[in-house]
Formats: sequence, C-alpha cells, structure tokens
Amino acid sequence: MASRLADWPPARIFVSSANFAFKALFSWLRPEMWLVQLLVMPLFEMAFFVYLATFVSPTITSIPFIAVGNAMQVSASASIFAVCNLTSEEKWQGTLIPLIATPANRFPLFLGRAVYQIFNGMATITVGFFYAKYVFGVDMSRADFLALAVVILITCLAMTGFGLMLGSLGLFLRTAMIIANIFLFIGLLVCGVNFPVTDLPVWLQPFSYAIPMTYGTMAARAAVQGANLMMLTPVLLQEIATGIGSILVGYALFIGFEILARKRGTLEEF
Amino acid sequence: MTKYQTFWASFRMSMLNFFVDPQWIIPNIIAPFIYTAVALMFFGNVSSSLALYAVLGGGMMGMWGNTLYGAGFALAQERWTGTLEYVLGTPSRLVWIVAGRSSSSALLGLVNALAVLLVALIGYGAQLGIANPLAFLLALVLTLASLSALGVVFCSAFLLTRSAQVMTNGLEMPIYVASGSMFPIALLPFWSQPMALALGPTWGIDAMRYAAYTTYTGMTGFGYWFNILVLFLSTIIYLTIGFGLFIVVERKVRRDATLEEY
Amino acid sequence: MSERPEKAIVASELRRAYTTTKGVFRKKHITVEAVKGISFDVDHGELFGLLGPNGAGKTTTIKMLTTLLIPTSGTAKVLGFDIVKDVMNIRRRIGIIFGGERGLYYRVSGRENLRYFADLYGVPISKRDKRISDLLDMVGLADRADHRVEGYSRGMKQRLHIAKGLINDPQLIFMDEPTIGLDPEAARETRAMIKGLVEKGKTILLTTHYMFEADELCQRIGVISSGNIVALDSPSELKRFVKDITVVEVEAFGVADTDLAVLRRQPDVTTVNADLEGERQTVRIQTPKGSEFIPVVTKLLSKAKILDVRIKEPTLEDAYLKLVA
Repeated sequence: MASRLADWPPARIFVSSANFAFKALFSWLRPEMWLVQLLVMPLFEMAFFVYLATFVSPTITSIPFIAVGNAMQVSASASIFAVCNLTSEEKWQGTLIPLIATPANRFPLFLGRAVYQIFNGMATITVGFFYAKYVFGVDMSRADFLALAVVILITCLAMTGFGLMLGSLGLFLRTAMIIANIFLFIGLLVCGVNFPVTDLPVWLQPFSYAIPMTYGTMAARAAVQGANLMMLTPVLLQEIATGIGSILVGYALFIGFEILARKRGTLEEF
Repeated sequence: MTKYQTFWASFRMSMLNFFVDPQWIIPNIIAPFIYTAVALMFFGNVSSSLALYAVLGGGMMGMWGNTLYGAGFALAQERWTGTLEYVLGTPSRLVWIVAGRSSSSALLGLVNALAVLLVALIGYGAQLGIANPLAFLLALVLTLASLSALGVVFCSAFLLTRSAQVMTNGLEMPIYVASGSMFPIALLPFWSQPMALALGPTWGIDAMRYAAYTTYTGMTGFGYWFNILVLFLSTIIYLTIGFGLFIVVERKVRRDATLEEY
Repeated sequence: MSERPEKAIVASELRRAYTTTKGVFRKKHITVEAVKGISFDVDHGELFGLLGPNGAGKTTTIKMLTTLLIPTSGTAKVLGFDIVKDVMNIRRRIGIIFGGERGLYYRVSGRENLRYFADLYGVPISKRDKRISDLLDMVGLADRADHRVEGYSRGMKQRLHIAKGLINDPQLIFMDEPTIGLDPEAARETRAMIKGLVEKGKTILLTTHYMFEADELCQRIGVISSGNIVALDSPSELKRFVKDITVVEVEAFGVADTDLAVLRRQPDVTTVNADLEGERQTVRIQTPKGSEFIPVVTKLLSKAKILDVRIKEPTLEDAYLKLVA
C-alpha cells in the first residue's frame, strides 16, 4: 500500500518537493540563524507587549491574554513570512520557469514546499508557550494540553495555507516581500493577539475573521483555561474553513498568474 | 578626498537609491508602525500627550529598525551589485562611506514617525504640541547622529562576524524592547538596564520627551542637558570604535577575499 | 615620493592562496593556490597584457596589484608604493576597470554613478562636473547620461565602466577582460579607446584571454597558466617561440574526436587544436614537418570529407597553446 502511494504522482511530487525545500533551506540557512528565529525573536516580541501592558495598564487586555496571544503569533515568521516568500524566491533565482515547465501538478508542488514551515511554526509556538509559562507567569495548571496541541497544529496548517495564498498574491502583484512583511506583523493588531478583536474599529473586524490566526488565539486561550476539544470544535472548524478557503484562493491565484504570465511573457519580472 | 566629501557622497547616493523606489522602506518600518498601533489601542482614550508619546516612540523604533537594516545590509548590498570592490578600491575610508549610508537610513527611519503622526492626527484627531521645539530639534539631531554612529559600529561588527542577516534580525526585537522607545527601561530586569543605558539613542528619546513635555521626570532624573551630553559623547565614542573596527574590516576583507561572496 | 619611480609596476614572487570549505555540517578546508609566485615589471607608458585561460590567476593578480587582495607572500610596488602598506597612495593614482554587468548602481543614472565615484576619489568639486561631462563625451554616453543604468545596453555599461575608471585621471589603469561579452563593434571601439589612452601617456595593464586582442594591443605580454607566468615577451618574440613550427590547418566535415586522438599520437605532431562545432570544422596541427605532413593528414582523416588544407604561419594563439599545454 505504501509503495503504491509512493508511486501516485501527487504524493511523489509532494514528498520530493518537501525534501528538496528542506535541503535547499539548510544549504544557506545557518543553524545560528534558525536558532535566533526560534528562541530569541519570540521572547522579545512577547516581552515588548507584556512590558508595554505593564506600563500602560490597559483596560482592554491583560498580561496572560497578551502572553498566550503572542505565543501563537510567533509562528508568523514561519507560516507567513517564509511561505509567502517561497514563490518569489523561485522567481528571483530564476527557477520558476523550469518549475512551471514541468508537468508536475502545482498543488502538491507548492504544498510540499510549505510542509517544513508547518513544523517550524509548531516548534516556535511551543517555545512561545514555554516562555509564556516560565517567563511571563501564565497559569497553565488548568490547561487541556491535548486540546492545545490540536489548536497549535490546526493553526499552523491553516496559517500556512494563508501564507501560500499571500505568496500567490505576491506573485500577481510582484511585491511578495512587502506583503510578507506587512502580514508578518499585522496579526499583532487584528488577530486578537494583544486585545480582543471586538475592540477593533467595526470596519476592520471582518478582515480579522478572514485570517485563521484570529480563531487560533481564541481557541488557544480557551484551551489554556481548560476547554477540551469538544468545546473547541466550533472555533476550530471555523479556523479549518478559513484555512481551506485560503488555500483554494491561493491555488486559483497561482493558476491565474501562470496563465496570465505566459500570455504576457512576464514570468521573469520581479 | 575629505571625509566630508566621502560622507556626503555616500549619504546622497543612499538617499537617491531610496527615492527611486521608496516602497522598499516598508519592510523596515512596518513593525514599528504596527507596534505603535497596538500601543495606541492599549492607551485607550488617546489624549494628546499619549498620542505624542506614541508618535515619538514609534518614530524612534522606526529609526532603529531602518538604521539596523541600513547598516546590516549596507555592504551586503554593495556585494550583490558588485560595487563593493570598486568602493573598496577608492582612496576613501570605508568607515565614512558606511557612516553616510547609516545616517541616511536613520534619517529615513523618521518616515515611520510621519506615518504614525498621520494615524494619530487622522485616526485620533489628536493635536500634538511640543513644549520646547528648539530643544526637541537639538535632541532629535543628536539622536540621529548617535544612531548613525552606532550603525557604523554594527556594520563593522556584522562584517567581522559574517552573519549580517542573523544579527539584524536578532537585534531588532531586543532593541525595540530595551531602547526605552515605548516604555521606560525601569520596567526591564535590572541586569539588562546597563545594556540599555549603553545605547546613546536611549538617552536621546528621553531627551526628546524632556523637550516635548513640561512635566517629564525622565529616565535618570539628571535632566535634559545631561542627556544631551551623553548623546554627544556616545556619538564620539561609537565613531572612534567604528573607525578602529573598520581598519580591521578592511584588512580582513583584503586578506580573506570575501569581497565577492554572497 | 617626489621623483618618478623607475617602473610603474614591480611584482616579485606574488603568491595568493584561497581556502574554501566543503560540506555543510562537517566542514573540510581546502586550500587552492591561485597565484604561485609571479614576478614581472611594467614600464611607464607601456601597454602590458596578462594573457591566460580562465582560472589562470589573471584576476587574482590584478586584484593584488590594485590593493583589493593581500598576497599570501611576495611583494609588489605600484608607482613606487607598496601594495600592502601604502594602499591609499596607490588607490589615488590608479584606475580600475573590471567591466561586466555588475559594479554599477543600476537604479540611478550614469552621471550619478560617475559623480559618486568622483567624490569617493576626492576629485576636487571645482573640477568634478566638467570632468564628468568630458568623460561622458569621450565614451559616447553624453546623450544617455541621465538615464538609469538599468536601461543601458551591455556596451553602454562597459563604456560607463571605462569613464568610471578614468574619473580620477589616473596615471596607471588596470583593466580586467575589458572586452568580454561585448559585440564585435563595441569591442573594437573599446580597443580603440584603450589605444588612445596609451597615446596620451597612460600606463595600462590589461588581462585578456583573447589572443588576437593581446596581439593587437600589447607591447609586451605575460602568459599566465595555472598561477605561473610561463612566458613574458613582446608578441613578435612570443611568435618566434613557435617559429620552427608550422601549422597545418584543415577545414573538413565529419571529423570525430577519435581522429584527433590518432593525430595527436603521431610522432611529428606538437599540438592539435580543433573546433569541431558547427558545420565547417577546423583542425590546426602544429608540426615542424610543414607541407610534408599534408599527405599524413589526408590519410588519417580519410573517413572525413576534407574541404581545404592550408599551411599557416604560427600565430600568437599557437605560441600560447604551446606554452599552456
């Protein structure tokens, strides 16, 4: 059965793509850079908002709220930034054309490349929760860890899908880098990371609900306070739906881009 | 070639490159902008003085972010375009070329303050008044100088360690936390405060607040002029260190033939 | 230095080794010697060429002489100044033209590029703008000077490189492969410009792997191969190195590599050089036998269709092939 699965073209493309992305990543990514991203950045990002809240004592939020929200948000560098830049990197290197020239199905091709970032995101969030508990004093005594683990997994999957969509958008607009940077941070403002979404101006809120992380932060907080999987199912389903929606939009954009670029001959411009 | 001619040429070229394609500043100032937006949310009902606080803090973080980026990538960019060996082959000292670039980056970081200012004015209808404009301007100019000089030190350190990108990414966040831009450094663990105080711009933002608010007690309580003195001295110290480091850098680059590596 | 040094360049036993690493996690260090002890000198007003194949060490040598690299051992003086200790004095007085696509700021205009380097070279501000205009006129870029470099053709970029290399009115100019990648007309123009510079009294050291270019331009040529100078002389003297050799040039159709191997094994053959690509193949056989060798060739290449056989005078290329073989 396994060998038959391995021969199924989409599966083969998926695995090969993931493998290649992993190797290519470590050929230029030095261990220290990855460690910095994993250990240093989450700590200071969380610290910034915790200290700010300590200074200001805002009415709309609390330190545990902020710590848990940011612990989830730290995955953005993997799922949003790195994933969004996947296709523009290809463009930059000039490998996009040869890639498109292959008969490989696009879907597993790009999904495969993102796989590594899903694991990377999960690892970063785990580190984030470690800091939340041991550095910022979040009380995890009632937490349902199984539920939390599922929330983390689903959030990383959904956000990676979102990142793929951004990557496709970036191809279209030729500014993947800028989109990646904007969305890397915008979650801090609109995804209920530092304060509830309901405190945002009304016209901004629909935007929040289109991003999977908004559901992720809600579910994570609930899990930390003891909610189990049953109770979290509605929120998680919404998150999954947003994630799948993003992937579909991203896929459509990518195919659309390919057709348009071939028509206009702009595949290499960036 | 005097150092002034070199500095000005580099500053000018850096500015020219920016204005040709201004959108590329966005990655460097988006983080401070969002952070400031969150801060404004935390502030709640934003009074004028809080809005000013946010604008100053956001502007400071923007200057930090863009300087770090400019310094970290100053010579890396030269490598990519292949101009580094030509620049190195001129009789101008590398330290002044980097200083020009670093200053340009610091100044452009003010764009962030402008963006935050617009948000504060439009979004919150805040009216911002600065108590002592001249003192504020002096503090701002000296802060820019200190920041630029520090950028020179960073650049040389990045070159010697060959991990510019790691360092730039890795330093950005700690500096937002430790620079006292958005909250007093008194909140930080005591062991980190000396590090914060070693950064000239930390004194700079403090001085700017002295000038902006009439009732500001300040970080150390020593007053505005003490801060100005520290700012001035820090610039001299950083430049001296940077000068020494760049002599080492130049020799290293020539010995190890790292001019063309990416 | 108040008096002019005797020679423009004096290089003595220059060596340069590079260390690279292999592997990602378990790094292995490999040392490669790019230049293995090069010595030569260049007179004032001379056009000196360093000729050699890719990877021979030409670029490394030029980088050492232009103070961009410190030699692993050996010394050199450029215009009387030591390349390791007197760096600034050298940089003020020399021009560097490496050519190619890189080395220019794409997003700004040609004029801005020149202005930037004029400032970095400390050209007095009173003279700067006029010099820039004069140089732009000289290289024929005056009408495109204020357009962005990213829109320049390859040839235009090369011309801008030349203007940039002359911005400080240098006495001595180093050029690394100045015509590489240029179309024939642009290359011809560049060579004409180089000759013009020598006529004005400048000293030029250029590297090239084009034999005919070295032959046409240079007064003396140093042939570099694998990090060593294997010959140093004027082009005519170098050609005399192969004077007792004639070249049998065969134009044919259907010559295979195996035929070349057979030819090479012949007792009177010094070298065989062939261009087997394309429809008309050319085989050049160096042999002291001259026309006596023709029947041998026709017999050995009987399976191919021979279109023409000529006896040629040895060129610099033949001398070069013999030297680097």
